[in-house]
Amino acid sequence: MSSLHEFLSMGGYGAYVWPAYALFFAILIADSLAPGLRRRRILRELRARLARHAARTVRAAEPPSSPSSP
Amino acid sequence: MAERVPATVTTACAAMLRRDLLLAWRQRGDLAMPVLYAVIVTVLFPFALGPDLALLQRIAGGVVLVTVLLAMLLALDAMFASDIEDGSLEQLLLAPQPPALLLGMKILAHWLTTALPLIVIAPVLAGMLHLPTAAMPALVLALLFATPLLSLLGAVLVALTAGTRRSGMLLALMLLPLCVPVVIFAAGAVAAAQQGLPWLAPIAWLAAAFILTVVLAPLACAAALRIALDS
Amino acid sequence: MSTWIPLWMHKLASPPTFYRVAGAIRPWALALALLLGAIGLYGGLVLAPPDYQQGDAYRIIFIHVPSAWMSMFIYAVMGVAGFVALIWRLKLAEVVAMQSAPIGAAFTAITLASGSLWGKPMWGTWWTWDARLTSELVLLFLYLGVIGLYHAFEDRRQGARAASFLAIIGVINVPIVHFSVVWWNTLHQGSTVNVFGHSKMAWDMLWPLLVVTLATKFYYAASLCARARTDLLDLEGGKDWVRKIADAEARP
Repeated sequence: MSSLHEFLSMGGYGAYVWPAYALFFAILIADSLAPGLRRRRILRELRARLARHAARTVRAAEPPSSPSSP
Repeated sequence: MAERVPATVTTACAAMLRRDLLLAWRQRGDLAMPVLYAVIVTVLFPFALGPDLALLQRIAGGVVLVTVLLAMLLALDAMFASDIEDGSLEQLLLAPQPPALLLGMKILAHWLTTALPLIVIAPVLAGMLHLPTAAMPALVLALLFATPLLSLLGAVLVALTAGTRRSGMLLALMLLPLCVPVVIFAAGAVAAAQQGLPWLAPIAWLAAAFILTVVLAPLACAAALRIALDS
Repeated sequence: MSTWIPLWMHKLASPPTFYRVAGAIRPWALALALLLGAIGLYGGLVLAPPDYQQGDAYRIIFIHVPSAWMSMFIYAVMGVAGFVALIWRLKLAEVVAMQSAPIGAAFTAITLASGSLWGKPMWGTWWTWDARLTSELVLLFLYLGVIGLYHAFEDRRQGARAASFLAIIGVINVPIVHFSVVWWNTLHQGSTVNVFGHSKMAWDMLWPLLVVTLATKFYYAASLCARARTDLLDLEGGKDWVRKIADAEARP
C-alpha cells in the first residue's frame, strides 16, 4: 500500500506529473472519439437524405389514386 | 478596344498604381483611420501605466511598433476587398501582363496609403512616450523595412482568404506567426539604439528579409489568389 | 498523373480503396499504439529511476518530448501532403493534410501544457520566452490558422487547397521564428533555461522515451486513418460506395 502511495506522490511532484498525464490521455481520447461521432452523424444525415429522395421518387412514379398494397 | 496591342508591362503597372492611388485619394477619409487608431492606442498607454518617465522610455519602441502593426492589420482586410466585390481581381489574373507584378503594384499602393502615414506619425508617437531622440533613426529605419514586409506578407494572406466570408480575426491569427520575426528584429533594433549599442545588424536582417519577400510575396500572392478565386 | 507513379499508388489514392485499406490498418495501428504506450509508460513511470537532479518530476518527459516530436512530425506530413495536394490536386492528399491538422494541434497543445506543468516545479515558472517554447506556441497558432482557413471556405476542397498553401508558408516560417527568438534571447540576456541540460540520458530513461515516441507515431496513424475515412464519407456523400456503407450500417 505504501509503495502505491509513494508511486502516486511521485517524490512530491505528483501534483505536476499526474495532471500532465491526465491531460495527455484526455486530449488523445477526445481526439480518437471525435471521428467516430462525426461518422455516425454523416451516415445518419446521408440515410435521411436518401430516404427523402426515395420517397420523392416513389410519389412521383405512382399515381396518387392507387396506393400499393403489401 | 481601339488598340489591339496589349499595353507594355510598365504602362500596365503604372496604370494599376495610378488607379489604386486615385481610388484611395477619393476615399481619403479612410486613410486617416489607421493613423487615428495608432494615436488613440498610444495615448492610452501612459494612462494605463502611469506617467513614469523611465517606464515609458523603456516601452516606447515596442509600443509604437506593435501599435503600427495593429493599425496595419486593421487596414489589411480592405486591401483587395473592393476589387473582389467588383470582380476586377479575376480580370487581373486574366490580364496578359504577369499578375504578380500587377499585384505588387497594388501592394505598393496599399503600403503608400496606409503604412507611409504611420511611419510619418511614428516619431511623434514615440516622442509622446519619451523615446530618446538618438533612437529615432533606428525606429524610422526599422519601420521602413518592417511595414512593407507586413504589407507583402499580409497581402498573401488576404489573397488566401479572398474566397471566404470576410473575417478579420482569422487574418490576425494567420498573420501572427509570420510577423513574430519582424517584430523581434524591428524592436531589437530600437532597443539596441536606445542602449547605445550598434543597431545596424537587425536592420540588415530586416532588409534582407524585405528583399527576399519583395521578390517572392507577389508570386505567392498570385498563386494564392488563383487558389482562392478558383471555382 | 504522370506515369512514373506505380499503379498501386493510383489505386490506393482512389477513395473507396483507401477507405478499405485505412479501415484495415486502423485497428492494428491502434493496438500497437496502446501496447507500446503501456510498455513505454510502465518503463518510464515505474522501472526508470528518479533523476538525480529533478527527482520524479522529470517523468513528464515521457509524454512531453514524444508530443513535441509529433507536433513537428505531423506538421511536416501536413506540409508534404499539402504540397502534393496543390501540385497534383489529389483529393486524398487534401484529406490527409487537413485531417492531420487537428491531431497535430492536439499534440502541440499537450506539449505546451505538459511543458508548463514541468516548468513550474523545475524553473519556478509556468512559462518562459525561450526559443523552444515560443516556436511551439507559434506552431500552435499555425495549426489553428490552417484549421480556421480550411473551415472559412464554403467549398471544402478549395478550403483544403488554400489551407495547404498556408501550411507550406508555415513550413518556411517556423525555422525563421526559431532563429529570431534565439537571437532575441541573446539580445535580452533573459531567462534562457536549458531543460535538456543532461545531454547524455541513461539508457533506463531513454528506452521508454523511444518506445512512447513509437507509440505516438502509431497513434497518429490510427487517428489519421479514422479521420480520413470519415472525411471521405463526407466528401463523397453522393457516391455509390458511400451509399452502400450507409445502408449496411443502418440499424433496424
